Amino acid sequence: MPKEQANWSPYDNNGGSCVAVAGADYCVIAADTRMSTGYNILTRDYSKICKLADKCVMASSGFQADVKALQKHLAARHLIYQHQHNKQMSCPAMAQLLSNTLYYKRFFPYYSFNVLGGLDNEGKGCVFTYDAVGSYEKVGYSSQGSGSTLIMPFLDNQLKSPSPLLLPARDAVTPLAEAEAIDLVKTVFASASERDIYTGDKLEIVVINADGIRREYMDLRKD
Amino acid sequence: MIVGSTHFHRKERLFQVEYAIEAIKLGSTAIGLKTKDGVVLAVEKRITSPLLEPSSVEKIMEIDEHIGCAMSGLIADARTLVEHARVETQNHRFSYGEPMTVESTTQALCDLALRFGEGDEESMSRPFGVSLLIAGHDENGTSLYYTDPSGTFWQCNAKAIGSGSEGADSSLQEQYNKDLTLQEAETIALSILKQVMEEKR
Repeated sequence: MPKEQANWSPYDNNGGSCVAVAGADYCVIAADTRMSTGYNILTRDYSKICKLADKCVMASSGFQADVKALQKHLAARHLIYQHQHNKQMSCPAMAQLLSNTLYYKRFFPYYSFNVLGGLDNEGKGCVFTYDAVGSYEKVGYSSQGSGSTLIMPFLDNQLKSPSPLLLPARDAVTPLAEAEAIDLVKTVFASASERDIYTGDKLEIVVINADGIRREYMDLRKD
Repeated sequence: MIVGSTHFHRKERLFQVEYAIEAIKLGSTAIGLKTKDGVVLAVEKRITSPLLEPSSVEKIMEIDEHIGCAMSGLIADARTLVEHARVETQNHRFSYGEPMTVESTTQALCDLALRFGEGDEESMSRPFGVSLLIAGHDENGTSLYYTDPSGTFWQCNAKAIGSGSEGADSSLQEQYNKDLTLQEAETIALSILKQVMEEKR
């Protein structure tokens, strides 16, 4: 007797793309605002970006119900941390916490593909990129989500530094200025919207620097 | 009449905790001094017999790379507290990829002292009979904390605990200032400790 297949899945993919780029004293985190299921659009105006701490922002694509649960969990942990240690969590600390939180559900994962961006303890931009079960790495830039296969090669072309094995060691962060990095991100999403059906509608850009956090929007193709 | 440590007695006092604090006044002396460059901890080993192996007497212990502590009172109780602090600091490193601040570590220790332990099986029916001097450095600079069996802690520039603490504390008040070098602080700690140890003989 052939094995029965489940006709119900606890997961769904709501599509969309996320990008983050780290600079010498800033970090740009961006994501589109389209939420879809299958070939249908649920809404054109959904934020995938969440502020976790003063200088730490997370963008997540995948199953948005899991993403929301993850965001709430991390926000609660951050509050407890502030009560216990009388300070905000740094971006690297949040990065470690996110990794542990994801791995904790190794055998029923959060269907969430995350990029964490912010400033480290010295005010330098940092980006952390994750898989669904918490494997993470500090990088200079990253993309996740349905458009990542289109976006990542272009970012590699524009931003990639020579091999980390070469000496002298080079910084992971891009030498680009803040305005240039924002421009790059806009270009990247405009391109991804052309070919990825799940990416489009509007682009939300969050910029973190010494002055604080600010938000920008840009229209994308609606088809 | 229930005289358990978990009950307030007639005069709204926890006698067991007060007795524990008294017990530490019989313990070996320990002194801590804070300077800008570091914190000095000095303890009296109190070798009660020539048969005792002096190197085995450990009254200053490491909690993490950047935090240590000196103890006075029931040393066995202190070991439990230090072990707990070690676990807490490593858990913090695991969860947040960063060292735990000295104050948070001290708070974690006092959380345990307050409950007389943790869990159903491991928790005690009496307070921990030990005072600790927690010394360390973190992003806030150097710091020294003093804890007692009630689970309270105080931040100090210099402090002495144990049998010689009264005399040592007044000497510290005279000799301590915030601009001491680490070397000077070491010398002061040792000389005060020697003084109170000799007085008791």
